[in-house]
Amino acid sequence: MEGTYQEGDEVNLKLLKAAIRFNAMILGLTAGTLAAVVVYIGTQASIVKWGDNSGGYLELLAIFFPGYSVSASGAWIGAFWAFFYFSITSWLSYRVYGKVLGIRISSSIQLNSGRAENPVLKPSTLRLHGISLGVAMGLIAALCLFSSTAWLVVRGTAAESVHAALFSNYIPGYSVTITGGLLGAIQLFGLVFLSCLLLASVYNKLVEIRHKKS
Amino acid sequence: MSRPIHDHEILSAVFAKMDAVAMGVAAGSLCSVLFFLATAILLMQTVPENYPVGVHLSDLSNYLPGYSVSWVGAFGGACYGFLIGAVLGFFAAVYWNLTHYFALGVMLISSVQLAD
Repeated sequence: MEGTYQEGDEVNLKLLKAAIRFNAMILGLTAGTLAAVVVYIGTQASIVKWGDNSGGYLELLAIFFPGYSVSASGAWIGAFWAFFYFSITSWLSYRVYGKVLGIRISSSIQLNSGRAENPVLKPSTLRLHGISLGVAMGLIAALCLFSSTAWLVVRGTAAESVHAALFSNYIPGYSVTITGGLLGAIQLFGLVFLSCLLLASVYNKLVEIRHKKS
Repeated sequence: MSRPIHDHEILSAVFAKMDAVAMGVAAGSLCSVLFFLATAILLMQTVPENYPVGVHLSDLSNYLPGYSVSWVGAFGGACYGFLIGAVLGFFAAVYWNLTHYFALGVMLISSVQLAD
């Protein structure tokens, strides 16, 4: 079956799996660092703009980031947790992406000069496989929504979680309950899947246009 | 029937660089659409007259001057969405490429040391 790699396929499975592991690690590092920077800058910007009155919505992060507060030290704690969560989820999403993409990995590159003469020193341009990306990101987003909803229920603050309940404006059927979290997760999967298809198609089209002449 | 996958194709996929401009435009377009829809969905809901719509979303004006939960605000928000998505997408792609170059550098140095 195309897309899942098995013993006997004419592909170096060891290399393929190592490639997926390597890129999963790189993505985890990239996304984790970017998320940490965003949380750190967001917290510091909030302090600069509102001083002692800063906090508000940002303070809600403390529900998922133990020890976080809108303060100078809290910014570092927030950066740590952002790195932690985003690196793990991104690592996991690339593992799923690689698993779904499988032996179609060769379709995920745009060769700049007809053939990759030296894949390391003369790299090709990356293409995105929309369906694999959609499945991976959709699954992770759904998992995140369900687990964060479940966490609100478990800690006994579901009834007070008015901000989380606002998701129902965009995800009909969602509520801060286990069943609502499950329904929301299924619908979020669909939304993220469609978003990834859009992202991949725009990106691939631009790559095709920009690298046609080279 | 799948054709054989050569090792150089796998390596090409691993070290393929992300097109930062394309990623910036793609992420910007996606954020723009999502931002517009986020505002438009609230505006299309049936609510009693004078009922405040999008109280929480309109707080984004603290960060995005001029934004409001209105049709004008939806288009303004779409522009902001494009800008934010484009910047994040561009830098994410640049950072992705840099991390690969860095990892590659480390591997090359390690292999040279092993060869010595």
